[in-house]
Amino acid sequence: MPITTTRRRLLAGSVATLALPAFARAQGAVKPRLTVISQWSAGSDGAAITALGKKFEEKGGVWQHSPVPGFTTEMMNKLRAQIMAGDPPACSQLKGPEIAAWSKIAPTVNLDALVAAAGYEKVVAPDLARLHKPGGKWISLPLQIYSTNMLFLSKRAMDKAKADKIPVTWADFNGLAEKMKAGGVAYPVANGGTRPDDGQKFEASLAGISPTAYRAAIMNLDKKALEGPEIKAAFAQVRKISDWMDPNVGAQHFSTNLKRFIDGDMGMMIMGGWAQGVLRNAGFKFEEFIIAPGPSDNSKPVFLLNADAFIFWQRKEPDLQAGQTLMAQLVMDPAIQTMYSQITGSIPVRTDVDLSGNGWSDGQRRTGAALKEAIASNQAVLSLAHNMAQENGMTAAMIDVITEYVKNKTIKPEQAAIRLAEAVEGAR
Amino acid sequence: MRDRTFAPSRVLIYLIVLLIAAAWLAPLVVVVLNSLRTNEEIAQASMIGWPKQWAWSNYVTAWSGFCVAETCAGIRPYMLNSALVTIPATIFSTMLGAVAGYAVSLWRFRGDNWIYGIVTLGLFLPQQMRLLPWTIVLRDIGLINTLAGLVLIHTIQGLSFTTLFCRNYYVAIPHELIRAARIDGAGFFRIFWRIIMPLSPPILIVTVIWQFTHIWNEFLYGVTFTSGQQQPVTAALIALSAAVADIPQHGVQSAAVIIAALPTLLIYVLGGRYFVRGLTAGAVK
Repeated sequence: MPITTTRRRLLAGSVATLALPAFARAQGAVKPRLTVISQWSAGSDGAAITALGKKFEEKGGVWQHSPVPGFTTEMMNKLRAQIMAGDPPACSQLKGPEIAAWSKIAPTVNLDALVAAAGYEKVVAPDLARLHKPGGKWISLPLQIYSTNMLFLSKRAMDKAKADKIPVTWADFNGLAEKMKAGGVAYPVANGGTRPDDGQKFEASLAGISPTAYRAAIMNLDKKALEGPEIKAAFAQVRKISDWMDPNVGAQHFSTNLKRFIDGDMGMMIMGGWAQGVLRNAGFKFEEFIIAPGPSDNSKPVFLLNADAFIFWQRKEPDLQAGQTLMAQLVMDPAIQTMYSQITGSIPVRTDVDLSGNGWSDGQRRTGAALKEAIASNQAVLSLAHNMAQENGMTAAMIDVITEYVKNKTIKPEQAAIRLAEAVEGAR
Repeated sequence: MRDRTFAPSRVLIYLIVLLIAAAWLAPLVVVVLNSLRTNEEIAQASMIGWPKQWAWSNYVTAWSGFCVAETCAGIRPYMLNSALVTIPATIFSTMLGAVAGYAVSLWRFRGDNWIYGIVTLGLFLPQQMRLLPWTIVLRDIGLINTLAGLVLIHTIQGLSFTTLFCRNYYVAIPHELIRAARIDGAGFFRIFWRIIMPLSPPILIVTVIWQFTHIWNEFLYGVTFTSGQQQPVTAALIALSAAVADIPQHGVQSAAVIIAALPTLLIYVLGGRYFVRGLTAGAVK
């Protein structure tokens, strides 16, 4: 027995001595290089990824970024073409369950060792962590988080309603909307007319009524939960919301109506955290609106997670591999996450980043605090409207039902609940 | 002589035509006005409005200033890319279409109708369906991520349309003309150059306008098969508008859209007169 141990040790030792210099040589000799595909090209999104690239270059890397303009479909087309051509990017933007789906198409890099070294797992919301390690291994890294159910309140609409309390539950919200209507606010709920916009109204309603039902019905597609009373209650709440919206808004981006919101012609907006950046960049002042977590009937914040992430594709080239290591380390770095979120207005994925300092807005601090509380009370769930809860096909089937319901007021909540369950069955 | 222009029915017709024209032009007017307003002004007032101060700087930013991620060169380099793809692809697809249309209409051979049918079948294939086959082809011939690859795609895909157009036009040419030339000893290409080409300008103008507009405005292939600096102008336009965490840059976007639309507009202005004439030439023999 002692002999085998020695032999094994000897063997391990010699392998290590042989491998180590080679490893060190590989690390030292090649300049890390990274090919990246993302859809971030313009505005603060473009600025943030440009800044990330600068940091990559400061660390001695070669940054080769191909922004794919447009929306997710175009980027997926591009990614598919690159993979088919045998030339996947070393790293690409991808989010939600699509990470698991795409990881079956081409081999990905196992990032477990790097994640462990960075102590990343402990500081990421559990539901979020699961998305990024399908099959139990980390193959992608979340970079920044938005909450899709933030509540924006127009100060002028509040004045018209003679209200100063931020609504916490849906009952509060509905009461305030009534007051606004009575006080002369034409449309107590501000709206755009896009699919995600409609989807957000539903997911905020359901998650605010019962995060447990949301998790079961929307994330796990549990049949009983999909036919449960909470779904009907959520559709009933969506109907109230849609009655307070301007029906004459076509398929418009929410930003089209920001002026009406600030003017107090529209009162409250349920939108992702990114809206504060949009408001700020449109020249509106922080004093003109309030940001709070969306309504939650148990008074504890509910957080609908929308997280952008990078997935890492296997490459043989040593310089690309070194680039992937460097990129992974950067993405998980608290300082980099701080820099990134401060540019875009999101919050860092790492829950241990301190948001009290300069450079963070009150909205970001409130979002960060809401995330911590929501994780503690198991109320951080994944957004359906922003492709975090389900794969694209399933999401599309569900949003179809929701967006039709928002626009067609002859559909009853009970009917909508049945349609939603049927759509899920059909898309399975 | 009574002035007919004052007949009530005529006034009504003019009114209706004017209304339709106004409806069609309204979006253009909004885009032109917005191209001359600052972003803040648009955000703080409304999407529709008269410029308070003329923001000509939007055009400067659109042409050479705005950033697509790390590259801040405006629309200019992408305009050049689009031209480098559109001009050769338009010429190649038009010429090949003319030859193919001539062959299937006037040069009867076994299976000519089948070939014509298969070529025009290409019109019915959705663009998305052709993405993967093109990926494989471009990969195998080494043209992925190049402008030459795009020229190839647009040339070949354009063939369905150009062949259809030219064939329908050439069918009207009397066969006796061809027969006489063959008796005189002219071959396939001699007849094409000496007889068909001189008769072709109306339909060639139609196909050139059609192909140019179509290729210039194409987005999906441009964005899938090229990267970064290689991309056509449509990709740059979308890049400019795709910000999530920002107020849309309506002023600069509008200016960029107008600049990007100028080449196709020019083609229409120069050739539009012939467009309808060429299209109907075959129809009303």
